[in-house]
Amino acid sequence: MEQKVICGIEGVGIYGVISIVIFFVFFTGAFLWVISLKKNYVQHMEELPLDGGEKNSTDKNQPTNL
Amino acid sequence: MNVETFKYDNRIVRAFAIATVVWGIVGMLVGLLAAVQLFFPDANLNLQFITFGRIRPLHTNAVIFAFVGNGMFMGIYYSLQRLCKARLFSDFISWFHFWGWQSIIVAAAITLPMGFTTSKEYAELEWPIKIAIAVVWVAFTVNLIGTILKRREKHMYVAIWFYLATALTVAVLHVTNSMTMPAGWFKSYSMYAGVQDALVQWWYGHNAVAFFLTTPYLGLMYYFLPKAANRPIFSYRLSIIHFWGLIFIYIWAGPHHLLYTALPDWAQSLGMVFSLMLIAPSWGGMLNGLLTLRGAWDKVRQDPVLKFMVVAVTAYGMATLEGPVMAIKTVNSLSHYTDWTIAHAHSGALGWNGFLTFSMLYFLFPRLYKTQLWSTKLANYHFWIGLLGIMFYIIPIYVAGITEGLMWKQFNKDGFLQYPNFLETIVQVVPMFRLRAIGGTLYIIGVFMMAYNLYRTAKAGEFEPDTEVQAAPLEKTSSAGAHGKLSWHRMLEGKPIFFTMLAVVAILIGGIVEIIPMYLVRENVPTITSVHPFTPLEVLGRDIYIREGCLGCHSQMIRPFRSETERYGEYSKAGEFVYDHPFLWGSERKGPDLAREGGKYPDAWHYNHMDDPRATSPGSIMPRYPWLLTQKMEVDSLPWRLSALRRVGVPYPAGYENGPAQKDLQAQAEKIVANLKLGSVNAEPDKDIVALIAYLQRLGTDIKNAPVATVAK
Repeated sequence: MEQKVICGIEGVGIYGVISIVIFFVFFTGAFLWVISLKKNYVQHMEELPLDGGEKNSTDKNQPTNL
Repeated sequence: MNVETFKYDNRIVRAFAIATVVWGIVGMLVGLLAAVQLFFPDANLNLQFITFGRIRPLHTNAVIFAFVGNGMFMGIYYSLQRLCKARLFSDFISWFHFWGWQSIIVAAAITLPMGFTTSKEYAELEWPIKIAIAVVWVAFTVNLIGTILKRREKHMYVAIWFYLATALTVAVLHVTNSMTMPAGWFKSYSMYAGVQDALVQWWYGHNAVAFFLTTPYLGLMYYFLPKAANRPIFSYRLSIIHFWGLIFIYIWAGPHHLLYTALPDWAQSLGMVFSLMLIAPSWGGMLNGLLTLRGAWDKVRQDPVLKFMVVAVTAYGMATLEGPVMAIKTVNSLSHYTDWTIAHAHSGALGWNGFLTFSMLYFLFPRLYKTQLWSTKLANYHFWIGLLGIMFYIIPIYVAGITEGLMWKQFNKDGFLQYPNFLETIVQVVPMFRLRAIGGTLYIIGVFMMAYNLYRTAKAGEFEPDTEVQAAPLEKTSSAGAHGKLSWHRMLEGKPIFFTMLAVVAILIGGIVEIIPMYLVRENVPTITSVHPFTPLEVLGRDIYIREGCLGCHSQMIRPFRSETERYGEYSKAGEFVYDHPFLWGSERKGPDLAREGGKYPDAWHYNHMDDPRATSPGSIMPRYPWLLTQKMEVDSLPWRLSALRRVGVPYPAGYENGPAQKDLQAQAEKIVANLKLGSVNAEPDKDIVALIAYLQRLGTDIKNAPVATVAK
């Protein structure tokens, strides 16, 4: 019965093809993008949460045994 | 250099933190009450308001939207300000968001026990509350994007990407799944019917888990884990792949909740394949979190914040491996409808969301109150009792789930079902339900310990309402890279609105590819000529079934397995559900499937069974429903209901609700009363029970006499 449903939709096969193409292009792009990132940029990003701009306030009072 | 002085808002963070703890305790206690009723049904005290079917959605809504929701806003508002080096966009919007969200929770806590529910899982709240959710969510999104736009840090850290994806995707999901036709102030019918409703619902339900319980918490992990460990994330590059991989793939996987149902096969396969692919980004993210602690494991030994985080991230890894495995059709044929699903959900909820929330609370309170945690020892005790609680919760429930699945499928050597009576399979796992309640109790004791610890921490310190900081304003620069070369990536995350659009496109692709064919399917579901709309009395009965949350324990979907067709009858067909607004397939069997319940038992059996299930089925764990025998059915609202149903496509004749419907209802009710008399039961025709019996006796009968399906054109 499921097959009857699916065959009833005109040109439904294209959805599968579109899906796999989008998927492949998407991840190849993401991978290329990531390996092309500059090292100093990545380092800056990695340190962002550690900074927070509040070194002159609460952070110096932070508990150490936590 | 020009430096600006500004203040981070800590008040709003504290408000959400307190709400997180309070609602966490409430939500978990309601869960415990529900768990106890599974082995001691009288724990509902015969009160309809706290009976399993009504408080199960209360529990899920409370822990998801109240506990995790408030925890999410707490963490986002704390980290967002610091990552953007800016105060939140608007204090007014922050507080509107806070009080709006708490009001919605209170509204849920009142309406769900009263039985006002749409029956769609994690989207049970009725339409006025749904509108309120949309408004408050928009406020949150405006605050989020507004803060990002006025940031003093040029780059958007990956945590913010996760927050943005959360805000936008939840909005899309909520609106799509909330399309209902009101039939009074607290009653509505889904615009979608049957198969289509099921697909939209589980596209929503799956992604509610993804974009409410996962993506925001991953963002929080990427902020709080490096912060607590005081070392950068293991690989920022990996976090980028994690983000795009996750949001892109997650949205496709919804149909894995509907494997072997009447959903078209292609949608099932799509859901399964994408679920398996999800392992890659999920495990990338988990390893990224754990490897951040490389060389710092000595800190984990001493610091309860890190201990909670390690278990949280590990639980994330376990749950995201298990989920895809359960989405494999063969595995799913065993696991679906059993307690295995509950165990899976709780390893994620208790481990990932719960423990990450606790770690954030232990991290934040000393900082907000400029002091040290009152007792590290107590926090360590919390950690161990919490971990023990998780184990005692999930292990028995895994055993229960697999036992149920195997017993349902077991045939004897003559080819008959080994356990033809469903009750046998449930009685078998009741001891596991008891153990599970012990696990839950341990977990809640831990939360109480945390609440006390945080309270004492707050008492010992002094609250800092605003943290004053200094930072240089963001200079207006071109999108050129360090060496003057145009960097596509930096341009992208330098423009948050454009970035946001791209993220939305990524999530919409999966949604559109799944949903558009479903709209086409609507016209292509083979209609079965013998399937007719419900009679007025059955409509009222169905609404009682929804009100009492019967679908929390009873499915209405017979899968095409011999073990199911032997037990329940002919497997369910897509065409049988064309008038089901909403669909009531259910996702859990604590009782037998009811898709072919009609005609199995006499009316009087149902009457006695609802009055006291143990009178007809000794050992049953179903609660008593004595109020159905005395409460009058809501005939007055019948015209509203019928016309709302007509508006969503059920072909009731024009004017049917003004007179003819009431006559039909009366006639059918009298007939049932006469039937009950034959079974020595005296009932009045205007009581709830009569409508419910009418509905139950209708279930699955449409195709019993005419099983041949024809495609209508």
